[in-house]
Amino acid sequence: MHFELTYRQTWLHALHPVFKFVMVIVLFVAILFIHNPNFLFYMLIGFGFLYIGWTGHSFKLISILSSPFLIIFVSSATSMMFFGDGTNTWYKIGLIHITEESFYRGVHLGLRGILFGLLGLLFALTTRPVLLFYSAMQTLKLKPKYAYAFMAAINLLPIMVSEFQTLRNALKVRGVTYNSGIKGVYQRIQYFSIPLLAQSIRRAHRTAIAMEAKQFSNDRTYYYQVSYSLKDLYFTFLILAIMATSFWVSTIYSVFPIDNVRMR
Amino acid sequence: MLEVEKLRVKFPDSDHFLFKDLSLSIPFGQKVLIVGPSGSGKSTLLQILAGLIPNIIEVPLKAEKLQITSNYGIVFQDPDSQFCMPYVDEELAFVLENNQVPAVEMTEIIYDLLAKVNVRFENIHTPIHQLSGGMKQRLAIASALALQPQVLFLDEPTALLDVEGSKQVWDTITSIQGEQTIVIIEHKMEFVSDIVDRVIMLDDQGKIVADNSPSYVFQHYKQDFDQYGIWHPTSWSDYLASKSFKAIQTNRSNQKLIELESVSGYYQKTRRIFVENIVINKGDWIAITGANGSGKSTLVQTIMQLIKTKGTIHYHFADGRLPIYQKIAFVFQNPELQFVTNSVYHELAFSLKNKGNSNHTIIENHLMRYRLAHVRELHPYQLSMGQKRRLSVATATIMAEDIIILDEPTFGQDAINTFMMLDCLEELRQQGITIVMVTHDQQIVDHLATKEWIIEQGQLAEERYPCSFLSKEVGDSTHAL
Repeated sequence: MHFELTYRQTWLHALHPVFKFVMVIVLFVAILFIHNPNFLFYMLIGFGFLYIGWTGHSFKLISILSSPFLIIFVSSATSMMFFGDGTNTWYKIGLIHITEESFYRGVHLGLRGILFGLLGLLFALTTRPVLLFYSAMQTLKLKPKYAYAFMAAINLLPIMVSEFQTLRNALKVRGVTYNSGIKGVYQRIQYFSIPLLAQSIRRAHRTAIAMEAKQFSNDRTYYYQVSYSLKDLYFTFLILAIMATSFWVSTIYSVFPIDNVRMR
Repeated sequence: MLEVEKLRVKFPDSDHFLFKDLSLSIPFGQKVLIVGPSGSGKSTLLQILAGLIPNIIEVPLKAEKLQITSNYGIVFQDPDSQFCMPYVDEELAFVLENNQVPAVEMTEIIYDLLAKVNVRFENIHTPIHQLSGGMKQRLAIASALALQPQVLFLDEPTALLDVEGSKQVWDTITSIQGEQTIVIIEHKMEFVSDIVDRVIMLDDQGKIVADNSPSYVFQHYKQDFDQYGIWHPTSWSDYLASKSFKAIQTNRSNQKLIELESVSGYYQKTRRIFVENIVINKGDWIAITGANGSGKSTLVQTIMQLIKTKGTIHYHFADGRLPIYQKIAFVFQNPELQFVTNSVYHELAFSLKNKGNSNHTIIENHLMRYRLAHVRELHPYQLSMGQKRRLSVATATIMAEDIIILDEPTFGQDAINTFMMLDCLEELRQQGITIVMVTHDQQIVDHLATKEWIIEQGQLAEERYPCSFLSKEVGDSTHAL
């Protein structure tokens, strides 16, 4: 089974893939050092605009993909809120102990989680794996044999999905039944993993031979020439602008009455 | 010139030589067909001549002389596992990159290659998974040609294709053949016999038993073809003249088994198949035909209730205890996906267990009948292709249901296994079991089916009654070669 995603190309697609990748990683690290939830909140708005407006994918897909954000937020925020330390108690029942400090720390963690997810999607939705690997071979001097191993593997995934569906039907027809609970999970793993692995290993082997037969070599030219453009510069400026604006606004309008969640 | 002298090959886990002192030479420009039963080592020989063995696939090999070429292209059997890139242009570019063709020249070369194999796209950046099997294999030929090979190896390039796709592929090969040597393995003789100028036949021991011009080999070695169960141009007419086929022509009943009234089958909320009013009678042999992707398998899944359906289906055998899909014996296209236990014996026992009945004698009888008794202790995955197929049919028939549905059971099978299975299915049919079969093999449709359902674009386009049953002169019917 194949999922066909139709999307329009935006300038985010035209960025240098490795450069974009590095920028996202830098942002990930930077976010870890931000302790002001207001700052994160405004950053979220800034990158949220970029995510909604410029990935080029349909609004429906974007909405479906964002739904896990709520789960990320709730799960990471509540665990911190309920069980974190703090002195200024708001509510207490049994193990659950909500304090002002733990509440804001929870909100902060939740925001960070969403922001990570958002940036990751922003990258994934605007980057074709093939171009990422081409650019990694050209910019980072990644050995072609590793790059092509990954690209060939990605190619096998849809075939595995359809095989999984056939296998599920086959087991149904054979009348395979499962126990309930953990034992059932173990049985499923047993029934599914061996046939799927056997098929995949054989198929991967065939693909590898086919690639060798096409005289695969590490000395090669490249169909796609990945290069930097002015857009990469704009992208850098845009990120800096979002960061700067968020910081500036967060010093003026505070959504949360706290500017450093680490302070007691 | 390709040449091997006194070639010896032995697989590490085997106790006998696959090839023992095999010598063979193929002069430049010759078009050679290699035939032989499953397990004769045809593919291995081809891979040795291409140098894939032992350079890439490690198999112990010894030869007094081994002269091969590094300038070759090869097309494999499976259309889905020989591409490493998702798009047509990227796949061809992959080959050009390997040859260090400058990027600026690539697009033009890609258009040239596609024109050579007679595949045209508005946009060469087309996803490969959207192509039909015949187009995929022609793309595989294009990528082999991209290497500008002196020798072209074709390892059953149409084994997994329907008739239309096979024809396209062989037409393409006929049109591109020029100076280069071509070494072919193929079951479908009707397509290749005109292309080749030499036929080499291997026996089940990997020995060359015949090596001559096609007409000579087909005339003088017919016995060997039949003995080893290799397809040859008159395989079908011989079978039709055989005793076992004559026995097949008996009357068929009219007792309704399954009725479908305005039934649709849904796949992820989209309607994939719709049939107005069709009936499966007891003792029918129904052949479901149609192009790849037309909805044949979906129709079967609808009848099995494996997907969401709307409309009325009457099952005149259902007792309501088990879901329908367990009251119908089903044989999948890939037998391996149906195996759930660790031995052939237990595989059969498993089918019976679900019916609350595991009788040792029934299993033993089935093992004998499907010629699986000697491998009863083996893991199903260790069986040969033909044995796997027989086992999958055995696991379905042992349940003694009223109806058995098969999804392309003869695909890629050699003649001996095909006819054995057809005889066996007919035997079941005479015992009153109904057979529904998705197939691409027009011969099966014409000579064995009582009814043919032709599916086009998710609809039953035509219900046909193959005429061979009406005529008495089956043995005389002619077959296009």
